[in-house]
Amino acid sequence: MPADQPRPFDRDAPDASARLEAAGRGVAALPRRRDQLLPALLAAQQVLDWLPREAITLVAEHVRVPVSEVYATVMGYSELRLERPVPGAWRVCTGVACDLGGARELLDALGAALPGRAAGTDCQFLCALAPVAVDPDERLHGRVTADRIAALARAEAPAERGAT
Amino acid sequence: MTGPSPTPALAELRARIALRAPSVRILRHRGTCGDAVGAAMIPFDLRAPVVDAACDGACWAAPAATVVRAGHRHRFARLDRGVPEALAACVRGECDERQAGSGESGVAARLGRNDGTLADVLAQGGYAGYAVAAGLPPPRIIEAAHAAGLTGRGGAHFAAATKWGLVAAHADAAKVLVVNAEEGEPGVFKDRHLLEGDPHRLIEGILIACRATGIRDAYVYINGQARNARAVFEHALADARDAGILDSSLGGAPVTIEVRSGAGGYVCGEESVILNSIEGERPVPRYRPPYATDAGLFGRPTLIHNAETLCAATTIFDSPPPPTKLVPLSGDVPRPGLYEVPVDGNMTWAGVLAMAGAAPGRVQALLLGGPSGRFVLPGEFDAPLEMHPLGAGGTVVLGPRADIARITRELAAYNARESCGECTPCREGTQRLLELLEDPATNRDRIDALIEVMTAASLCALGGMAGRPVTSALAAFPEAFEPRAPSEGSAP
Repeated sequence: MPADQPRPFDRDAPDASARLEAAGRGVAALPRRRDQLLPALLAAQQVLDWLPREAITLVAEHVRVPVSEVYATVMGYSELRLERPVPGAWRVCTGVACDLGGARELLDALGAALPGRAAGTDCQFLCALAPVAVDPDERLHGRVTADRIAALARAEAPAERGAT
Repeated sequence: MTGPSPTPALAELRARIALRAPSVRILRHRGTCGDAVGAAMIPFDLRAPVVDAACDGACWAAPAATVVRAGHRHRFARLDRGVPEALAACVRGECDERQAGSGESGVAARLGRNDGTLADVLAQGGYAGYAVAAGLPPPRIIEAAHAAGLTGRGGAHFAAATKWGLVAAHADAAKVLVVNAEEGEPGVFKDRHLLEGDPHRLIEGILIACRATGIRDAYVYINGQARNARAVFEHALADARDAGILDSSLGGAPVTIEVRSGAGGYVCGEESVILNSIEGERPVPRYRPPYATDAGLFGRPTLIHNAETLCAATTIFDSPPPPTKLVPLSGDVPRPGLYEVPVDGNMTWAGVLAMAGAAPGRVQALLLGGPSGRFVLPGEFDAPLEMHPLGAGGTVVLGPRADIARITRELAAYNARESCGECTPCREGTQRLLELLEDPATNRDRIDALIEVMTAASLCALGGMAGRPVTSALAAFPEAFEPRAPSEGSAP
């Protein structure tokens, strides 16, 4: 099951340095070798939810790879994020099977129901349960409808996300 | 078809780790499929233990449960619509029709039909193939793979026995196995099912390949989004390690298996990209030669296999080995899911569609192979299936209302987004192709010329095959690309 999704790191928040230290501990647990670059990036993102420049520097120093090369590597992986994600956002899969299953109409309806918090995303590999959506905690939902997502979104506690 | 008889070492292991299951139990199919439709929330108020299992490939049925009695399995589908009285009756022994697949042979025989414990897997024939391999000289294992016709199920269908022979020829003790479970091709969900639903089969396949080639170190590279698959696989790996299976309790030499997570990117399913990724280099393809079998991961001789290939390797000692391919089927079809399809000279697309409940007359085409694929037309539905053209197997059924032109542009846009940028033909070509598709009727000659260059000159198959769906669609559905309103399918 997916691990609990962390709140996106905010460098202006009071806990910023504590969270960077936590990310540093995750990274420091790995051997200081170049082949640990991706595991280290994933460990940092696991704590911070994205990779701010502080995390890149921390990883670069640990695995002894130049910061420029770390950036170049990060950009090759679609799941590594260099920008802070929108808190509480839902994503609708727009792969071919989901498209056939009405993903576009779903995305339009969701855009109206959750302004600024709905986006499309590439294939989520749950094609047999199309249309598919990913919730803000990275959980997959199959055979979704706009009403169902709106109901789930309302059930989320808004205070728990974003307000860092 | 039957599996091999247990060796003394396997019989001893089975006795030591015996399954103590009640005579009747209910397997609740969770896994990624079940959990995405609330399987965990289905209430059972029955006098039989309910244990969690993964999806058994009948994704369409989720949330589902299978009642298991001695020699009998009955799956009940769509329990979100209520748990039927028939399920309770089946628990009492009042049902006779078996509905959850044969479960007797094939790569998916145990898929989602075990409770995740090593005991259950052993009771269902797990590790029987490896127990045989462990007692054979490596060349005999390679001969068995050759005789079974085992080919690479990631899409290229290269003969596994040939690869094994190339790696076995290296005396270098540092040679290594890399398992490709990145599975980043849109429309493909077979490796995730294998990892979640029968992880011990992959471990067994790894051990067989290592035994055949003299490899002692393996890396399993799992798609970063497939977190449940990784968790389940690591759990199984720990159980196998504790039982001494990785340490020659069934014979053979000790093998270490390390798990790595990917982090997205279609190109990361390309085998040389995985090597760079594990080494901590940028995830881009490598120039060849040298080939991985000579100088791959960390410069060591490297055997690279798709996860399904290694799972199929567990069946090479069956008599006869099942010539099957896993086909993930989705789209406009009543029963989408993962099908184990016999590629035996008899099975056709019409047969596959019938299994999934589709009327061939209601199918415009199949998209086989996603963004690197092609459109299969109804005229081909009655031809016997062959292994190589199936590629990785990902199939989307396109009903009468599917917009072929839009789908084609979406696939082209996907390739343009996912191009890693390492080589010019793909980096520039995928973008240019997308632009030319704005007016394909006028640009037809330029599209053909561009695709010819991309196919011939791209560094890897992502670029080399990026033009395939476009060529296929233009040939099969020229009317869909006649002059039209401005595009709605360009890159976001």
